[in-house]
Amino acid sequence: MLDEVLRSVQVYLYYSPQGEYLREARWAWPIFESLHFLGMSVLLGTVGVFDLRLLGFARWIPIAALHRLIPLGVSAFVLNAVTGFCFLSATPDQYLLNRAFLWKLTFMLVAGVNVLVFYARVFRRLLETEPGAAPPLAARLAGGVSLCAWIGVMSAGRLLTFFRP
Amino acid sequence: MDPLFTWIETSALSIWLRESPSLLVFPFMLILHTVGLAFFVGANVAWNLRVLGLVPRVPFGPLQRYFLVMWIGFWTNAVSGVALLIAYPTKAFTNPLFYAKLVLIAVGIAVALRVRRDVLDAVAGKGDALPARVRMLAAASLACWVAVIFAGRFLAYTCTRLTVETTC
Repeated sequence: MLDEVLRSVQVYLYYSPQGEYLREARWAWPIFESLHFLGMSVLLGTVGVFDLRLLGFARWIPIAALHRLIPLGVSAFVLNAVTGFCFLSATPDQYLLNRAFLWKLTFMLVAGVNVLVFYARVFRRLLETEPGAAPPLAARLAGGVSLCAWIGVMSAGRLLTFFRP
Repeated sequence: MDPLFTWIETSALSIWLRESPSLLVFPFMLILHTVGLAFFVGANVAWNLRVLGLVPRVPFGPLQRYFLVMWIGFWTNAVSGVALLIAYPTKAFTNPLFYAKLVLIAVGIAVALRVRRDVLDAVAGKGDALPARVRMLAAASLACWVAVIFAGRFLAYTCTRLTVETTC
């Protein structure tokens, strides 16, 4: 049953317009990959920079001011979700049957849950702390988990080729 | 150049880097090169975005500390990059794009340092008003990193020889 669902998802993605485009257009794959790496770098330059601040790095920067980087980080994530979905569509079996892809999704899930917990429980209190003060433990935890999760996402992504079925 | 490539490729270090089945050898070098890129370019992206006015109330003084992150990323990639070169010297050195990438990195770093100096001079002189020229340079710096990323990614698709003996 599960195998059949997986199989039909593979077929559906493989023959989708974006899947066919990425397989057939001459330079589409490396261009999309470059965009994926660009999105990754911008994500680290926004969310990663914010995470380091949460860990207590450059603590004289006001949190609220630095937080304005985050919307761009979200845009970078959307760019990577779109380009990533295109890779998945082009060669579904290379990802859906790949252990490294499962790890990559797992790390993204960790980052996602961490973001929700951060905004629900930590962010508002954090805005009241003065620049120069040591961040509370909860903020350090959120920053550390986020940074580790994104390093995990990048590492698992890089390992995809070594776990192809 | 083939004798030199052959000499490198038949060295014990090159063979180990290329052929070790451990994920902690060649794949780990690729991971370092990717994570290093993200921190190297990312840290400079944040600085340039500040110069361009995206995060206006972030003070330049403490933001400078992220240059440390940029340099850690740079050296991570210099070391992992040399390891990848030792594993596959022919692949890189026979590809003109590889030299373009090196030049772009050098230009990118020069522009980044120039932006940093100009910003600190401007801030020390007359408050937060940055001259338009500095903002142009910050935009050029960002464009440079985009070009470096594209060049690096396209290396894998434009190589003609993998080793002295094999084609890509």
